[in-house]
Amino acid sequence: MNQRLNLPDWAGRAVACLFGSVVLAMMVGPQQGSQNDYGVGFRQAVLNPRIFYFLLIGVLVFFAITYQDVVRRYASRPGVRPLVAGLLVLLASYFLMRWYDPLGNNAKFAGLADAVASTSGLAPLAKAFFGWLWWVSLVVLVVGIFVAIARRLRALGWAMAGLAVVVGVVALVAHAAAADAGGGIDHSYGAPTALVGYLVLAGAGVLAARSRSETAATREFVERVMAFRPGLPLVLMGLLLGVLALVSATWFAPQQANATLVDTSSLFSGSDASGLSEAFLGWLGYVLFVVVLLAGAAAVWTRNRVVGYVAAGLAAVTILIVLVTLHDISATATEAGYPGADGPWRDLGTGGWLLSIAVFSIGAGAFVAARRAHRPAGADEARGTVTGRLHQAGASTTVLSLALFGIGLALFYPPTATTFWQQALVTDIGVYVLLAIGLNVVIGWAGLLDLGYIAFYALGSYTTAYLTGSLPVQPPSWLQLSPLWAIPVAIAVCLVAGVLLGAPTLRLRGDYLAIVTLGFGEIIRIVAVNNPGNITNGPRGVESAVPHPVIDLGFLRIQWGGNQLQYWYLLLVLLAILIFFFYRLEGSRLGRAWAAVREDEVAAQATGVNTTRVKLLAFAIGASTSGLAGVFFASDIGYFNPQNFILNNSILIVAYVVFGGMGSLTGAIAGAAVLTWLPNFLRDQVPSEDRVMWIGAVLVIMMIFRPQGLIPAKRREAELTGLAGHDPSVRPAVQAVPASEGV
Amino acid sequence: MSTATSSAATSSVGAEDLIFDVRGITLRFGGVTSLDDVTLQMRRGEILAIIGPNGAGKTSLFNSLTGVYTPQEGEILVSARPGDSPQSVLGKKTHVVNHMGVARTFQNIRLFPALTALENVKVGVETRQKSGPVSAMLGLPWQRREERESTRTAYALLERVGLAARANELAGSLAYGEQRRLEIARALATGPGVILLDEPAAGTNPVEKRELAALIEQINAEGVSVLLIEHDMKLVMSVAHRIVVLNFGRRIAEGSPEQIQRDPVVVAAYLGTSEEEAEQELETHDQPELHTIDTSGDPLGHGPAGSGTPEGPRS
Repeated sequence: MNQRLNLPDWAGRAVACLFGSVVLAMMVGPQQGSQNDYGVGFRQAVLNPRIFYFLLIGVLVFFAITYQDVVRRYASRPGVRPLVAGLLVLLASYFLMRWYDPLGNNAKFAGLADAVASTSGLAPLAKAFFGWLWWVSLVVLVVGIFVAIARRLRALGWAMAGLAVVVGVVALVAHAAAADAGGGIDHSYGAPTALVGYLVLAGAGVLAARSRSETAATREFVERVMAFRPGLPLVLMGLLLGVLALVSATWFAPQQANATLVDTSSLFSGSDASGLSEAFLGWLGYVLFVVVLLAGAAAVWTRNRVVGYVAAGLAAVTILIVLVTLHDISATATEAGYPGADGPWRDLGTGGWLLSIAVFSIGAGAFVAARRAHRPAGADEARGTVTGRLHQAGASTTVLSLALFGIGLALFYPPTATTFWQQALVTDIGVYVLLAIGLNVVIGWAGLLDLGYIAFYALGSYTTAYLTGSLPVQPPSWLQLSPLWAIPVAIAVCLVAGVLLGAPTLRLRGDYLAIVTLGFGEIIRIVAVNNPGNITNGPRGVESAVPHPVIDLGFLRIQWGGNQLQYWYLLLVLLAILIFFFYRLEGSRLGRAWAAVREDEVAAQATGVNTTRVKLLAFAIGASTSGLAGVFFASDIGYFNPQNFILNNSILIVAYVVFGGMGSLTGAIAGAAVLTWLPNFLRDQVPSEDRVMWIGAVLVIMMIFRPQGLIPAKRREAELTGLAGHDPSVRPAVQAVPASEGV
Repeated sequence: MSTATSSAATSSVGAEDLIFDVRGITLRFGGVTSLDDVTLQMRRGEILAIIGPNGAGKTSLFNSLTGVYTPQEGEILVSARPGDSPQSVLGKKTHVVNHMGVARTFQNIRLFPALTALENVKVGVETRQKSGPVSAMLGLPWQRREERESTRTAYALLERVGLAARANELAGSLAYGEQRRLEIARALATGPGVILLDEPAAGTNPVEKRELAALIEQINAEGVSVLLIEHDMKLVMSVAHRIVVLNFGRRIAEGSPEQIQRDPVVVAAYLGTSEEEAEQELETHDQPELHTIDTSGDPLGHGPAGSGTPEGPRS
């Protein structure tokens, strides 16, 4: 009886991984299985080649788990990370990105390679590259660099670095030859991206050749680069993007017209466009860019506070002029009846926005330089000791630079996106980022598992619908409000609802609280479906569309609803306010009290923390954020129904927060952004039935290898890793006591 | 019950001089009686030690005093700070009791390990502050002032317990003795009138014990009464003004350290019920306890295979 089957450890794991992937694979394809199916669906699914993707994932996961130690040891060698990054960039370039726009749907690398193969008279180098060189060189490079790293062959490292640069240039040249032969308007970024990938590979080769240490110090390296001249990377990025914008990008593009800045200038010379715009297109644009660039460079190099702020100010003025010009040319073209031009802010190419990003980046670099201007050595440490604030250590130059560049992208990238992506950015990504930072307060900071979070979102949406008269029940006329005025009301309603739900239930611990909140979420949805007293209009959703918000100040009138971009900017404002508020909250006495309650409730009580009140506050703040998102959602989408508030969405938001890194504000944003972006991105890449599978695979792999999430919170990281890196002898003493015992 | 009449004697002391007035509390968990009609008075300004063998109910008493447990019978009155009128602890929540001026530490260290040492203390300081979430979000002036004050107070407390240099270390990464002292600093941060220390010397080395004794006396000198549970008799005898001995949930003795050391009841409680039994206990002590394990159904009395003790069950 006691005899156990003595399988080696890895066998069970291998079976589990394969079984898991087979189950995943079974779900591929339409789920038929009706009585008349006789296994047709099953056979189709099994014979489907896609099954092997999933089997492959299972095998890879198995190996990664089994040999995790070995993998980690190799992954920490200098050069491995650039190798992986470069490979990923190249794979993205070859399989995801467009290489030649005129080929339409077939514009990826494979399509261009087919076209090249059937074209005669091309340079042999281009033929060779598109035919076999690209993959042969890729295999040689990856294997070669890996061998160089693993066996410490310096000569091989140098050789591979050289080869990578050569292949990168060949890719660019071959693409140029093919594009020349094909003609037409091409704005694809495949070939330049490939060059970047090859350069990264070259970097990996150089690292393999030069590094003498056993483990890579990526973070230290990055910090050293940033510390050399704070803000310099931002300025360089701005230079690169700015040159692209001024030289090759499209500035005006109705009906696929492909007017670069020079063409646009000649197009608008002598038109009704204002003098400023004409000057900008003609010469002012270049001059301003150079001036901002020089000012930014000076600020970064001299690390002078005044110069830094002046450069940042110049950048702001330049962006303003760019925007004025963009508005002016699109409006002028429309008035003049230019074919294809349909309104202000329409039909602009990427050029103006790219230049804005570039100038913003330079300005941000100057700002960073000003912030880090000649601080006396040791001042940081001294201040840290005295205040000991949570954020003191967090705001490194790297983080600040990345955050600023992200703001630049968020401000000026969306106008260049397609309508589909603008829609996805607002209704999928933006709203869920808003929800995720709210839930992060509840789960990440206070440690309360809330599975009915979407209920407050529903409450916010239905409150808005009621106040704007979109439900069968009309509010009294004095209460009929525009959606913007509904925001405070919805926040108040959700605050009250959060307190009403929380007060009796927050005494419950962990799992029980999760079940109660789950029930609450379902109750709200089912009430909306069941439509008691004809309040909600039942499963059909709201009766009439929730109106779009309007701001009317007499001289200034902003009417939302024209396109998704307007909502995007409204969302950015809301997000900025909330992020600022929550950032302050995290470092405040309440944030510390949340952490205390989460870590050890008994100790927190004994220290005088009113745990019920603190938890209730977290619940209420989370709920009102959800309600705010509900107002935004309702007025953006107009029509909605209870199907928008299913349990699945609650669980997804929890997944976003966990994926991003519990308790980390940036993590919640990143997690929600990545996981809402992924399904939209996969729409074009994989068969639609497989989409959710891929997301599942990403989640599983993430949780195996990086359970702390994308950007873990400092506090949480310490909890999860058991305070690694510190004296290990202390750990048992701290961790031996579960939170609920040992009083 | 060598001092059974002491409650009558001490009740003549003015009520305002008592920090704790515990009157006959009984605490049961199901059928187990953890505290049985315990009565004790703690006077303002004293260091009172509670000792007793394991399972005597010392920590249960602490938990009853701080509102974690509610005894089924009896009454606990507390007037922690000078001038407070005595209030009942029973039925009050832990954090309310804390706000009445009763702070405590735990037998198994219960810090917030992922917060820094300074933040741990700040949590305590800030439970006495007023600013709410809105002023924190908006960064209003008084919130900023409170934040600065809390930092200053917490830092001063860390200096007092000798941890200022480690203010920005995560609490969980501190050494054991440092964690003990940090817990005391966190308890002091709430500005208590009485501090309850639950085995503060457990697991610390002799040097740290000496420092701890000095710290306890310093805290007491600054006007905070100290109620101490401790197994280390040297520490107890050196710092305590008065000692109460518990055994099996009952108070069996009370008095000065000298009295307690000489008290036969206490000696018996620590070594066994009588001298003969204590001697027997010592005799059997070197015998491995293996022979009591799993000998049923084994008439030859062979122990578990591979026990490897030559003079085992055969004797």
